[in-house]
Amino acid sequence: MPRNFVDENTVKLTVNDKIYIDVELYTGEKFTMLEPHRLFPVSGLMKYISLLDEEGNEQMIIRDIERLMPESKEALLNCLNERYMIPKITRLIKRTEKFEIWMWTVDTDRGEFTFEIINSYQSIKILYDGRILIKDGNDNRYEIPDLYALDKRSIKLILPDV
Amino acid sequence: MNEVINTDVKTLLTNKPIPSVFEQRANELLCGSSPLMAVVGDLKLDGKYGESLLLVCADRLIAIDHLHENGGIMMLFEDIEKAEVKRMYGNALFRAKTNDGKNVDLIRFTYSATDLCDAVGDFIRHIKDGDDIDEQTEVVKITYDNLRCFCPKCGRKLASPNADCLNCKGKSKIASILYGYIKPHIRMLIISIILSVITTAMALVPPYITKMMVDDIIPQKNMQFLIYTIVALLGVYLLQYSLGALRAYLLRLAGDKIIADLKKDIYAKAQFLPMKFYDKTSTGSIINRINSDTTQLQNFMLRITQEAVVQLFMMIGIIIIMVIMNWKLALFSLIPVPIVAILSRFFGRKLGPMYRRLWRRMSSISTILSDTIPSIKVIKSFTNENNAINKFNRYVDDWMREDKTTAKISSIFPNAITFFVTCGSLVIWFVGGSYVINDNTDLTLGVLVSFISYASMFYTPVNFFASLSDSYQNALASTEKILDIINAEPEHNFGEGNSPKFFEGKIEFRNVNFSFDRSKKILNDVSFVIQPGETVGIVGTTGSGKSTIINLLMRFYDDYEGEIFVDDINIKDIDMDFFRSKIGFVQQEPLMFRDTIFNNIAYSLPGAHVDQVINAADIANAHTFISRLPDAYDTTLGERGVGLSGGEKQRLSIARAVLKNPNLMIFDEATSAVDSETEKLIQDAIDRVIRGRTTFMIAHRLSTLRKANRILVVDKGRIIENGSHDELMALKGKYYKLIQIQSMSEKVAADKQAENFE
Ligand SMILES: Nc1ncnc2c1ncn2[C@@H]1O[C@H](COP(=O)(O)OP(=O)(O)OP(=O)(O)O)[C@@H](O)[C@H]1O
Ligand SMILES: [Mg+2]
Repeated sequence: MPRNFVDENTVKLTVNDKIYIDVELYTGEKFTMLEPHRLFPVSGLMKYISLLDEEGNEQMIIRDIERLMPESKEALLNCLNERYMIPKITRLIKRTEKFEIWMWTVDTDRGEFTFEIINSYQSIKILYDGRILIKDGNDNRYEIPDLYALDKRSIKLILPDV
Repeated sequence: MNEVINTDVKTLLTNKPIPSVFEQRANELLCGSSPLMAVVGDLKLDGKYGESLLLVCADRLIAIDHLHENGGIMMLFEDIEKAEVKRMYGNALFRAKTNDGKNVDLIRFTYSATDLCDAVGDFIRHIKDGDDIDEQTEVVKITYDNLRCFCPKCGRKLASPNADCLNCKGKSKIASILYGYIKPHIRMLIISIILSVITTAMALVPPYITKMMVDDIIPQKNMQFLIYTIVALLGVYLLQYSLGALRAYLLRLAGDKIIADLKKDIYAKAQFLPMKFYDKTSTGSIINRINSDTTQLQNFMLRITQEAVVQLFMMIGIIIIMVIMNWKLALFSLIPVPIVAILSRFFGRKLGPMYRRLWRRMSSISTILSDTIPSIKVIKSFTNENNAINKFNRYVDDWMREDKTTAKISSIFPNAITFFVTCGSLVIWFVGGSYVINDNTDLTLGVLVSFISYASMFYTPVNFFASLSDSYQNALASTEKILDIINAEPEHNFGEGNSPKFFEGKIEFRNVNFSFDRSKKILNDVSFVIQPGETVGIVGTTGSGKSTIINLLMRFYDDYEGEIFVDDINIKDIDMDFFRSKIGFVQQEPLMFRDTIFNNIAYSLPGAHVDQVINAADIANAHTFISRLPDAYDTTLGERGVGLSGGEKQRLSIARAVLKNPNLMIFDEATSAVDSETEKLIQDAIDRVIRGRTTFMIAHRLSTLRKANRILVVDKGRIIENGSHDELMALKGKYYKLIQIQSMSEKVAADKQAENFE
């Protein structure tokens, strides 16, 4: 089955129900309630968005969000922001250990939160661009965009784990 | 009115205490009906952290979030078509779909509450289907109980509410681990300590003789005494070094034994770890632990038990001698000691995290190795050798960079210490020198010279203790990783020793839910019953969860919800070894060991008689091809069975499964990778094997399932159809469609082939 790469310039996207979007192609063809999925949620946030219908079948792929028309871009980004929740850690408030389970209390762009890390070796990954990805005991994800941009104390607390 | 929720809170099923700010609004919305269960969410509807609440009654649900209009909503079940979890990425919504097709977001939460909300969603579906409320509440209660069953002692999550905490039971702290390994060799170690104390004491003799030489023998020109002294010294040296050799031998022996014990134990422990552990831990990092971390740890143990003792003894001995010789000078030479102590603490703190980082780099390298070397064929076929090299180099460079930082600290550190200690000797030279020059009666030249020798010997233990924190930190990093394995929870064998006499083969799945991780649900409310002796086909698209059902039945994963019964006994209550020994499992990717064909078949029944093995091979249609091999049953296979074709491996693995004469046979895609002729061979083998045994057969080629009495159709983790071939054909559902598609494509293929032949 050929992939349907849409032409970003001619497609119109509107948000439908928060995490779904409606699509109108220049041919007038309409799709409703498509669910955007990042094909590269770690390495390419703005590239290759797959739009799935309710059955989970891919209807089309948008190669580059940046090339969409402004309103469409905004709609898609809003929708993706709703769906993808990877809070960015801005400060490590507390880090305690109990029975080999680490409790981190952090400040993020979505507020303060406490989570547990069962095995720091498996749960904390450093990417080559310097980002640190964290997966907690419940498989939630967090990101530290740049460790060295944090305050001194946070760096000191996190450093042994990376 | 406030009381409604308050009094109920104790009996209410909930994951967390109900936030008090929600109480009033909740009571208003409840209008007197009492909630059965509650989920406290950890996100607000806009995706920011904060609390929300879902209350479920027998006929309605209530969602509270400040972002709802008026702070909350109430919906009657009768107005809802369905309510379910919508998993997103790192968070999820509990949404209701109203009868007129509108979606209503009820609450939002991170993955921590997905299990509960899934259960609540199932509950609502069952209630709407008219099922019994109490019964369904019980089902949901299990999910809540699972969430709440923590070990009262250590706080870790337990596998089931009444399970022993294996984590607590088998918990070992670093010190007790060390002791455990040292204990069996304690005699050897003590002897070696005694030997080293003797040799150390002897090492203290020569400087004293220097003093005698300088102060007495040489000035008095006593030739005879000189010879005596030299002979005595020779004896001392001889004894010192021969004892030294003996000690080194004993120590190495003890060390080898410790390391062997460590390796054996970790390997043994690794055998009993659950699949979940292996899903998450790379083979490389496990190999790394068994191979190099054990060496680290053993080195450290010997350092602690041997050298530390010896050095301590030496240090004390020297101090005593120095004090006796001249206590004032002795005090001067102790000046650097507190500085050294402070410095070691400081450096130790710095080094700890560094060694941990270094360990991660080291283990990444092992991971790459264990990943790429076995897959060399893939690398070659994609001519990716250079990329592989580059990637490997990058990891090694990464390690090197990290080691550079560590090397700086760990090289500066001992030298800084030596520097301070050596400065101490300058003080001795100065003070002692001026005493001698001023003809102070307290100090002769001989005493000064030997004092300086003692002082320089004193640096060795000081240095040793200073660098101990370096090797301690290094060992600690390794030890932690070893503890990861030693303290990991093994597979739970709750029913140990409980082996039912008879294994008929009735199998029941009851409301089984399972996910590998919370981001995706794999099995959804799977229930079915298989009667003894039935042959069951499992069909479904790829990734639908067929193998996972089998994995659960094999008890490879234990943390599912719901229950699985064999002969009406919960499989968790049956002895695991017994249970697995009754199942013949032919896997999707048959793996052979680097061993002979005979041993590979006999693997399932060690000590099997040759006749049995040949018979099993015969049943599996493997005997013919084996006997044609030049070395026949003695053929040694390469890694993972290199040297055999896919179909041959498949038949060996069937022979292996047959040999143990199981009551339950499982074939996972036994015929997926072979041509139709081999397929027929394998199919014949299977037909012979399944006689009289309950059998599960997973197959993509539906034609292979003709013999099945019952077919389960799996779709996205649910059993959507369950019945005989004829029943399902009559149903004209998914199975019917699959059959249509396949027979169509088979026809096309057959036509094509016919064309080619013409
Ligand atoms: N160890 C694992 N960790 C995480 N997810 C897994 C794991 N094994 C399987 N899965 C996922 O579980 C789902 C079901 O896998 P399963 O192996 O049961 O499929 P299947 O029906 O046997 O497919 P196939 O016909 O291709 O063998 C898949 O989506 C797969 O990605
Ligand atoms: Mg499979």
